Amino acid sequence: MDVQPQQGHALATAPPQGIAGPASGSGTPHEITHGPAFAMLRVDLAPGQVVVAEAGAMVARHQGVGMEVKLNASRSAGFFGLVQAFVIAIIRRLVGGETFFVNHFSAPRGGSVWLAPAMSGQVFHRRLQGGAITLSTGAFLASSGDVDLALKFGGLRAIFAREGAFFLEARGHGDLWFTSYGGIEAIDVNGSYIVDNGHLVGFEGALTFDIHAAGGGAMGLFASGEGLVCEFKGQGRVYIQSRNQGSLLQWLRPLVGA
Amino acid sequence: MRYEVRQKPDYGLVRVMFDAPGEQLLVESSAMVARDTAVTMKTQMTGGLFDAAKRKLLGGESLFQNTFTATAPGQTLWVAPAPEGDVQELHCDGSTPVFLQSGAFLACAPSVQLDTKWGGAKGFFSGAGLFLLRAAGVGPLFFSCYGGIHPVDVGPAGYIVDTNHIVGWTGGLEYRVTKLGGLKSLFLSGEGLVCEFRGQGRVWVSTRNPSSLAAFLQPFRPVKPRS
Amino acid sequence: MQINVLHRPAQALAQVWLQPGEAIVAESGALVGMTPNVQMQTQSGGVMSGLKRMFGGESFFRNTFTAQQGNGEVLLAHALPGDMAVLEMTPEGYFLQSSAFIASSPGVNIDTKLGGFRGFFSGAGVFVLKATTQSPGQLLVGGFGGLQELVCDGNLVIDTGHLVAWDATLQYQVGKSGAGWIASFLSGEGLVCHFQGRGRIWVQTRNPVEYGRAVGSQLPPRE
Repeated sequence: MDVQPQQGHALATAPPQGIAGPASGSGTPHEITHGPAFAMLRVDLAPGQVVVAEAGAMVARHQGVGMEVKLNASRSAGFFGLVQAFVIAIIRRLVGGETFFVNHFSAPRGGSVWLAPAMSGQVFHRRLQGGAITLSTGAFLASSGDVDLALKFGGLRAIFAREGAFFLEARGHGDLWFTSYGGIEAIDVNGSYIVDNGHLVGFEGALTFDIHAAGGGAMGLFASGEGLVCEFKGQGRVYIQSRNQGSLLQWLRPLVGA
Repeated sequence: MRYEVRQKPDYGLVRVMFDAPGEQLLVESSAMVARDTAVTMKTQMTGGLFDAAKRKLLGGESLFQNTFTATAPGQTLWVAPAPEGDVQELHCDGSTPVFLQSGAFLACAPSVQLDTKWGGAKGFFSGAGLFLLRAAGVGPLFFSCYGGIHPVDVGPAGYIVDTNHIVGWTGGLEYRVTKLGGLKSLFLSGEGLVCEFRGQGRVWVSTRNPSSLAAFLQPFRPVKPRS
Repeated sequence: MQINVLHRPAQALAQVWLQPGEAIVAESGALVGMTPNVQMQTQSGGVMSGLKRMFGGESFFRNTFTAQQGNGEVLLAHALPGDMAVLEMTPEGYFLQSSAFIASSPGVNIDTKLGGFRGFFSGAGVFVLKATTQSPGQLLVGGFGGLQELVCDGNLVIDTGHLVAWDATLQYQVGKSGAGWIASFLSGEGLVCHFQGRGRIWVQTRNPVEYGRAVGSQLPPRE
C-alpha cells in the first residue's frame, strides 16, 4: 500500500530489510533465518575475528569457537566508566533486567556461531560506516569490528519505565545486529511523533526526544493503561516494534493469578 | 478512515490512517504503539461507571478504553495487542453479531456497539475473569489472541473446541460447554473444558493458549519470602 | 493418517486427518479442537502421575484420539509459539526434549525413564525422551521459535535450552558453557551439549528457559 508523505511526515511502507544503511562494503558474512517471528543470526567468523554478543544469546557454535565473558563498557570508558558499568550490570543481572555482560566469540581458525535473543521477533543488520544509531538497550544483539557501544541516560522520568532508562548508542565502523520484540516498522519523522516507550527499538537522525506520561486528560494519567511515551521532534527515523514486554507482563498478571 | 493489519499472523499490528478530522477509533487501553502527536487521546470508561466497575470486579476487560480522535487529515495511529499473535479485522455489516472472548477485543469504530453479555457466560472460560463480549453494529472491528487465528467453518455436524483456544464466533451458532471425557479425564488428561458448536457459522480458534503460557511461566516467578 | 502443519512457521497448528478407526497419540494439553466423532482415551498412569504433572513434575501424559464411524479431524498445538516438524521414524530412533513431543503414530514407543541424562537440561521439569519403533511411523515435534535442522558431520556445540530432537546415531556429552561457574553465570549461557558423529539435530531458535526467566522474573512473586 503506497502512502504519500503527508503533513510533515512520511510513512515507510515496507519493513526495512537489513535496515537501509549505506549498503556497501563487505560486512561480516552472516545469515538471518527464521524471521520474522523467531529470527536467528549465524555469524561466520574469520580467523582471529571477534564478535561481541549479548550475554545469553548463543544457540550453537563450532567447537573451535571460544567464548569469553566481558563487561560491556564503552571501550573509551576510564576506570570510573568501568565501575559504573559494572555496578549497572550487576544490578540489572540481579533484578532480571537487561544484562550488560557480553560474550566475546572468536575462533583462531575461523568458525560459525548462532545467536538469538530471548524474546521472539526479528534480527536486523546494520553496517556502520562512521555513523551512529541509538538503540533501546534490550535491542542490542551483537556487533563486530570497530563499534563503540555507549550507554546514554534517557532522563529522570525514564527511570520509572522498565524500558528506556538507558539507551545504547552504537557508533563506528563495523557490523551491528539488533532485534525487535515482534516485527519492526520504520517511521520517518518530520515534525513531531509519539511512540509508546516499550515499543521503541531505536532511532537515528536529527531527533530530540522527551519521555513523559501518556496523557489523556486527568483520568488518563493513571488509568489510560498507557505507560510512558517518547515524543520525538525533528527530522529522522524512528524504529518501532510491534510488541511490548511491559504490556505482555500486564496481560499475564491475571493469567498467573497475580 | 483507512486501516491495514500488518505483520500477520505473528505480531498483528494495525496501522490506521485518518482521512478527516473528527474520525475516531476506540482502542483497548495500553494498546497504543505510536501516533501523530496531534491525534488526541481521551480515556473513558466504556458503558458508564457501573458497567466498567462490573468488568473490573470480574477482572476481565480493563476498566478503561482510549478514544483516539484525528484533528487533521492524513494523521496515523498504530495499535497492537499485548500477547504475541494475530489480529483479525472484521467488517461488521449489522446482520450478525459477533461474540468475542473478552480479552480478544482490540479496537473498533464507535459505530460498533460492545455489550458485555452476562447470561450464558458463567464458567465459559476457565481463565481469570474472562467473559463474553457481544459486538454488533456497522463498522470495523479488530480482535486478537495469543497465537495465530485459525477459522473453522461449522456446519450441522458440529465442531468441538478447547475453551482456552476460543477467540470468538459468529451469531447463528449454538454452543454447549462440557468436560471432555468425563471427570477423570479432566483431571488426568490435561484437557479441560471444551465447547461444542453446532449450526451455521464460523468459530475463530487461537493456535496457542494463554493458560498454557501462564502455567509455563509459573515456575519462573520469584518466590515470596516467608515472613 | 495425514498431518498438515498449518500457520507455519510461528503459529504452527497440526491438522491431523484420521481415517475411520485410525488413531494418533498426543501430548495431554495439546488438543485445540476436533470433530465430534473423535474419541479420546487417556493413557492410564495412575492418579499420582497426574498430580505430579499438575505441579510441574517430571511426568509425561498422553491421550489417544481415535476416529469413529467416519473420517475425523484433530487440531493439535504446542504450548509456546513456534514451528512444528513431522519426523519419519528411523530404525535408530530419536532423542527429544520432553516438552518438544506433540504427537506420534500409535506404534511409536516413547521411553521416559532414561538414565544418564541427569542435569541435561537446566530448565524445570524438562527431561529427555527416546522415540523408537518397529514399524513405520511419524513423530510430531514442536519448538519454541523456528525449527532449524542442523547437520552434524564432525562436531557441534549446542546450548541445551535450544535442543529439540536429534538422531540417536550421534554421540553427545553435556558440559558447562563457560570456563568456570562465575563465567557461566555471567555469560548467561547454561549448559551445552557437545555432539560428535553424523546425524541431524533440530534446534529451536528460542530458548524457553531464557524466555521464562526473562518474563517470569518480572511477574509478581508467587507463594
